[in-house]
Order: sequence, then structure tokens, then C-alpha cells
Amino acid sequence: MSIDWLSGPLLQQLNSGVILLNTQLQIVYINPYICRRADIQLESVQGKDIFSVFTDAPKAWLSRKLNSVLSLQSPAFSSWEQRQYLFKLPHLRPVSSANEYMAQNCNMLPLTEPVTGEHYVCLLIEDATDAYVYQNQLQQSNLQLQQVNRLDGLTGVLNRNYWQQQLEVEVQRAARYQHPLSLLFFDLDKFKRLNDDYGHQAGDLVLIEVAKLIGSLLRETDLFGRYGGEEFAIILPDTPLDGAIEVAKRICRRVAATPIAYKQQNLMTSVSVGVSQFSSADSADDLIQQADLALYQAKRNGRNQVVTYYPGLIDSLKKVKTN
Amino acid sequence: MALTALICDDSLLARNQMKKSLPGAFDAEIVTATNGLEALNVLRSQEIGVVFLDLTMPELDGVGVLEAIKAEKMDVFVIVVSADIQPEMQKRVMDLGALAFIHKPVNTDKLSAVMRQYGLI
Amino acid sequence: MTDLSFTEEQRDCLQELINVAMGLASDKLARFLNTFVHLQVPAIGLVSAAEIPEQFRGQYQGLNSSMISLGFFGDGGLRGETILLYQLDNAGKIAALLGYDDDATSEAEMLTDISSILTTTFLNGLADQLENSFSYAAPRIISSRDSDFISKLEQTAFHWQLALKVDIRYELTDYSFDCNMILLIPGEAVLKLKTILDHVLAEF
Repeated sequence: MSIDWLSGPLLQQLNSGVILLNTQLQIVYINPYICRRADIQLESVQGKDIFSVFTDAPKAWLSRKLNSVLSLQSPAFSSWEQRQYLFKLPHLRPVSSANEYMAQNCNMLPLTEPVTGEHYVCLLIEDATDAYVYQNQLQQSNLQLQQVNRLDGLTGVLNRNYWQQQLEVEVQRAARYQHPLSLLFFDLDKFKRLNDDYGHQAGDLVLIEVAKLIGSLLRETDLFGRYGGEEFAIILPDTPLDGAIEVAKRICRRVAATPIAYKQQNLMTSVSVGVSQFSSADSADDLIQQADLALYQAKRNGRNQVVTYYPGLIDSLKKVKTN
Repeated sequence: MALTALICDDSLLARNQMKKSLPGAFDAEIVTATNGLEALNVLRSQEIGVVFLDLTMPELDGVGVLEAIKAEKMDVFVIVVSADIQPEMQKRVMDLGALAFIHKPVNTDKLSAVMRQYGLI
Repeated sequence: MTDLSFTEEQRDCLQELINVAMGLASDKLARFLNTFVHLQVPAIGLVSAAEIPEQFRGQYQGLNSSMISLGFFGDGGLRGETILLYQLDNAGKIAALLGYDDDATSEAEMLTDISSILTTTFLNGLADQLENSFSYAAPRIISSRDSDFISKLEQTAFHWQLALKVDIRYELTDYSFDCNMILLIPGEAVLKLKTILDHVLAEF
């Protein structure tokens, strides 16, 4: 049985696009799949340059590709993952998909007419919109999951785990490029008392509001995390000690001056801040320990203030303890 | 007395392809060698009219064979048959006295054209 | 287990056919890219799936590498996959090589473009030598500069025990660009290849 009759109806009904071009990249044939979607008539585009019909197609790149197919007599490909589409065509999910045009996979094949020996290039175009949509959804979900994994559930600042990872990164960066790096540790003053007097709901609200307030005082590049309970920490990249002390003082002033409304009452709170600066021999742990010691000293000095770490600090703390 | 032709290639397939592609009009006795050293031994011990020489071979490569032929002033036609298409390589072997350079894969048409040109058939 | 190993004649035959295919590919690439691409004599051998990541680690660990895969199918049950490995210290070289002067082409796209050109040109030549013809799947980036490709490779489940592995090196004559291609033909298809090689041998 001859199957010569098959190619006609197949090209008519094929659920993929077929475009046949000659060596001048002029249109020889386009199947109905493409004609309908592009709203063109085969008769009116035959013999025309492909780029004069599909004016939005990436001409420089695509003609180079098509010429590679013709001169090497090897197939070429285009994937929606690298280039969402070659030709602006509508897709069949106008409602359920946000993107406007059909995502496409395209095979470009070298063909030779058996009788004349003339060369052609055939573009086979497949609709990859579904894959494109699923991939986007997957990426969105992954991004959300990643966010969730990095943030503190109550306050929305970085959680301790992720914050510490970031500190390691910043310490390495500061060491390699010899950039300044500072660290703030702070603690809400008399937070236990607040919880006892007004309840945990009030305590949570204060944590949320203070985090929001301090977040608004920081730069995009500062890394603000909740270290535990009412203790927070801020990495200040590219910031020398004097700059860090300024930030710390501003935080101290603003928190003390900002009342937090809770059930028709205004709750007042304050923070104590410890500041440390990275120097080349320090590890991330050293830096945390220094800021924590300074914070301890700030509490001991009477709270609502900033203390900067200095190498003798640990000795003076020991003295206080032994006294 | 008929001409003797030497086919020198490390690949058995290539040697067989070569034998099979020689034009019917080429009336010669065929001997073979599987590397350059073997080829030189054959060239030194018997009268060879034409060598079909591969370039990439173990022991001694085609360039080495051409250098020896030149140094020892052997009177033999050399047709290089190689998959190496670098223009520099082609120039190098022609400078060393090769008659012609045929790109693999060999076939009767390519061989006939070259051999007719040099009066071998 | 079925014997996948080659006889000396089969190995010789494959080596010669690959050499010729490389020559043909060099010629075509030289014309298309306007620069001479030298393909180096390959190493051919059987490898087990388990060895592959270790071998690649030895060669590419710590380098800024990308890996692109391209699958192919031929007649007579022949099939396989090529993996192209690039060191990405100078992606601009690839753009220049391809003649891309617009900025609209992403690095990923350049990698898949150059990969399909280098791979299919060689494989078409090999298919011709085997009196076969290949059809190809679109190239896929297995890893790019953002990811450690050896760990990706370790996660990749290979559905074969042994495969024929052919190493091919592409090098521009001015050494401005080079890459390695690994041609893998998995177990079952190796048997088919042996049958095809026997046919070629029987012809001569």
C-alpha cells in the first residue's frame, strides 16, 4: 500500500506548526496550525521572506541558526527554556495562563527535495505553554518555600539559622576584600516584665512592632535577624565602627520614643545595643561573642543605651562578677 | 612487469577500503604496511611505484615516512590519504614531496581522478 | 552478562570511522565558523555508569564548567547521548564564534546552539560512515555555571551498567576555545553497533 496520500491530511491536521523555507529563507509552505494562529493565508505569504511576514521574529539570531542548518546540513533547536517563543502566536489557554504568547519548542531540520536536489529548511513548532506555566508555578512555589525557610514566623525578619549562614558569608567576604563589617546585638529591655504585666499577646505585638520600626531604619543590604526570644541581631556590611554606632544610637532613640498601641494603652519599651566590628583575625563566632558581651555591658550600665566592644571589656566584666 | 603499490595505514578497515576502491584499470601488485617503520622497510627492500600513505599512525607517522623518502632520495610517488583536513598539514606534506592529498573516506571516483592526473592509470 | 567488548577488528573499524567523521566535521565547521576546528583522535573504551562521575571529577573539578546533553536515535536500534563540557571562563568567545553580535542571546542559548552545531555535525558524519542516519533531541543544559555539575551527574540515574565511551576534543587552531565531547552509547545499543560494524567490515 502506498502512503503518499498521508502527508497531505497529516500536515492539515497536525497539532504542531510546520514552516518550510527555501535557501533564501522565503516561505514555501506553512501548515494550517500556524496559518490559523497567525491569521495569515498561505497563498498571500508564499515566496515572501519569513521575516517580512513574522516581523517580530528575532531576525539576526534566527537567520544565523537557519543558515547553520542549511550549510552544515545538521538540525538546530530552540527551546522555550532559553527563548520563550520564536513567533508571536496566541496559545489555547487564554484564560488559565498569564503569559500572552505560545511558548514554543522548535526543531529546524535540513530537507532535500529528492528529484531536484534543492535544499530546504523545515521548522517544526510545538506548543510548550503548559510546561512553561507549570515551570513558572514551580519556581514561584520554590521561591515562597525558600522565603518561609529563611524568615522568622512572628516578626518576618530573618530566622536565626539563615541569619547565621549570612554572617558566615559576610565575614568571608569582608576578609577577602578587606571591607569593613559591623554587628549589632540588641535586646528588648525588661521584656519579661512586659509579658507578665500585659500578657504574651502584648509581648508578641511589641516584638512585631519593634522589628518593623527597626527594619524601616536599615538599608536594603543590612541583614536583620531574630537571634532568639527578645534578642535580635543586625549585620551591617561595608560599615565601619563609627557608622555602626550611629545606627545603634538611632535605633535606641527611636524605640524609646515610639509608643506601641495595645488595647487603648500606649506601651513604652527600650532596647540595649552591643556593637562589634570585624577585624581580620575574627571568625563569625568571635564577632557574635563580642557583640553579645557589649550588649551584656549595656544592660549592666542601666539599659536603653549603646555599648561598643573593646578588647579589655571581657576583663572588666570578670572584675564585676568577682566583686 | 607490473607496478607494485604500497598501502600504508594502521587501520585494517582503511587498508581494505583502499584496496577495494582502487580503480579496475590500475594494474598493480598490492603490498601493505601498518605503520611508518614497516613502510620504510618495504620501500628499502623492493621496488615500489606508488605509496598510499596515511598520516596518523603509531611507531612512525606519515610525515616521518615522507621525510625519510626525501632524505634517502627514493623514487616513489606518494599519495597521502588522510582524515586530517588541516590546511597546514596538507601544505606540509606537499612541501615534503607528496604528489596529492586525498581526504578520507576514499572512493573509486576520488582515486581515479588523482591517478589519471598523474598517469598512473 | 552479554559480552559488550569489541573484537580487535570492530575496534579498529570504529576508530577509523570516527577518525573520518571527525575529519568531515572539521571541514564543515571550518567553513561555517570561518575558523579551523581541530578534532583530536579520541579515546574509545567501555565504562561503567558508576565510574562516570569520578572520571569527570578528576578532569573538571573546580573548573567553571558547563555540561550540555544531546540525545540521538539511529536505525537498527542505535542510540546514545553526547555530553559536551565547556570551561566557561570566556563565554564571549562562543558568541564571537557563532557570529552573534546582538546582546539578546543568553549564555544558556549560546551554549545549546554551539553544542548542537558541534555535536550534530560530527554525528551526521559518523552516521554517514555507518550508512545510517540519526535524529536528534533538543540539547539540554544539565548544569551551568551556577551549579556543581558533578553532583548533578551523581544524581542522574543512568539506566545502563556499561556503555561505550568515546572522548573527543574540539580545539580552535588559535587555542582561543576548546571543549570536550563525550559520546556515550549504552549497553543494549552497543550490541546493535557491533552488528552494524560487522556489516561494514563484511563489505570490505
